[in-house]
Amino acid sequence: MAEPATITEDEFRKLAEFLYRRTGMVFNEAKRYYVERRILDRMAATSSDTFAGYFIILRGEMRREVEHLINAFTVNETYFYREDHQLECLARDLLPDRVRSKRAGEAIRIWSAPCSTGEEPYSIAMWLLENWPLVDTYDIEIVGSDIDTRVLEAAANGTYGKRALMRLPADVIAKYFHQVDEHNWQILDDLRQSVQFSRVNIMETRETRPQGRFDVIFCRNVLIYFDDESRRIAAENLFENLLPGGYICLGHTESMSRISPLFEVCRFSDAIVYRRPKEGRA
Amino acid sequence: MPLIKGKSNQPNDETTGREAGQADIAAAMSGGTVDERWAAVRAAANVPAGLDILRHALTTETVSRVREAIFTALARIGTPASAAVVAAYVGSDDPEMRTGALDALRAMPEATARHLPDLLRDSDPDVRLLACELVRNQPTEAANELLSSLLADEMQANVCAAAVEVLAEIGDHAILPVLQGCAARFPDDPFLAFAIGLASDRIGSQASCRG
Amino acid sequence: MTAKRVLVVDDASLMRAYYRQALERAGYVVDEALNGLEALEKILVQPFDLAIVDVNMPQMDGITFIKTLRGKDLPTSAVAVLVTSTEAKDRDILGARMAGANYYLTKPISQETLIEHVVLLCGAA
Repeated sequence: MAEPATITEDEFRKLAEFLYRRTGMVFNEAKRYYVERRILDRMAATSSDTFAGYFIILRGEMRREVEHLINAFTVNETYFYREDHQLECLARDLLPDRVRSKRAGEAIRIWSAPCSTGEEPYSIAMWLLENWPLVDTYDIEIVGSDIDTRVLEAAANGTYGKRALMRLPADVIAKYFHQVDEHNWQILDDLRQSVQFSRVNIMETRETRPQGRFDVIFCRNVLIYFDDESRRIAAENLFENLLPGGYICLGHTESMSRISPLFEVCRFSDAIVYRRPKEGRA
Repeated sequence: MPLIKGKSNQPNDETTGREAGQADIAAAMSGGTVDERWAAVRAAANVPAGLDILRHALTTETVSRVREAIFTALARIGTPASAAVVAAYVGSDDPEMRTGALDALRAMPEATARHLPDLLRDSDPDVRLLACELVRNQPTEAANELLSSLLADEMQANVCAAAVEVLAEIGDHAILPVLQGCAARFPDDPFLAFAIGLASDRIGSQASCRG
Repeated sequence: MTAKRVLVVDDASLMRAYYRQALERAGYVVDEALNGLEALEKILVQPFDLAIVDVNMPQMDGITFIKTLRGKDLPTSAVAVLVTSTEAKDRDILGARMAGANYYLTKPISQETLIEHVVLLCGAA
């Protein structure tokens, strides 16, 4: 049984649209080759001779194939300074906007949910210390939450291998980590203690509500796994956890356009970000 | 290490506290602020009289995000009864309400299934048209049957076009003659000819394969 | 001189394909969005000369999209908007015009009629 070497333009469009409807993931023409390779991999993995046959499996929700396909697109390996253009945007645009209405010493609250093994919240902390001139002016609180207690334990422990550090400049590593052994580095105590970790399922209002309200939320690459109903509930929870005018950042293949109309879209030079409307507008 | 503080206390604001009970919800709905009505509506899915509260709220609420939350709550209830409440708005004069209703029905496909035959036979062609899109989320066989039935005698070209759009994704080989029959009924509609041609190509080019 | 750019906003893939065919044959550069929210994102990132907008779409309907668009800063807010809809009642046409649409066409629309109006609203490609 010969495997097709490529899929047609029409097939690509059909799959991109299906994925968009189902998950909210967006792929443009530039990503064509990348998407095609992954579809062909999944076709081989499901022993599908034709795209049409694979699409039937996908649409029929058989063998959780949608989830497998999503996994093929999201890099499950996390590392420090991943999607650094969003960190750029945080320091350059989002926080300066948030502090316009804050006095010196007031709190800035940032939420990383899900935080997985901690790379994201620690990255935020390091990036701000390294790149935001006003980092000492305000009381910055960073919270990392995840549904999985094992990853939270790892996050609190703050020990990582070489791969996780691959994007970090040497001076940043030297400043914020100590080397535990040949293969492992641990975040320094001071920094570790400045991130709070909590177990939260973003689908559960009972669990999200007590986290309070944030200036910025990072919620990357999790909403794509939810069904329509769950996405709506999660979006409402995240809305509630944002201060009016607060920002939420999604993963770079995600868009609120398939998730919820609650947020305003904002374009900054480094990223597209979403915002809870400011007070005075419902 | 500078001013990154680890706080152990949670901020004390109006978002903490116990889950709202039925009385609280009713009170908030009749005189609360936007935030209060929003929270009340979200809690309504969990109380026994929730469906009635939400049904009533839809008739009076004007703020978009509260209306959106009402629809979400109805989708969470996810019963044929809650789907019936939502389905009534598919024919609304307000485009935002129509979109809200359709999104909510899309989020509860099983509860919606019961109502599809009626929606697809509604006297308002705009309702029939919008209902076609809801068929997309249904199991393939049922979806084909519903749309085949509609296409057999639908006299509004735009409604047929909506059905063809869905069939382009989920249509079975068996639907091809029905599509041809439809094309013959509307020889002067430029878009329908294009759509049926494209849809038939897509369906026809699939090998007959079953996962 | 670069060609004019048209954004097609409609949740129906066949409708988008139909418009795309007509527009590309007439020399326009085409991009697509499946609902009002996606359209806003695209307009914020790249300029367009015209948006062709359906009314009934998930997440954000076409009328809400136009109102939101018109509330943005220039030049984004001034993009020409052609509404194409199955709804044909006077209240729908009035609603679209009040929201800030430049013109309203009722489906079904021939490709010739479409291009005629595109040229009228944003010039030849």
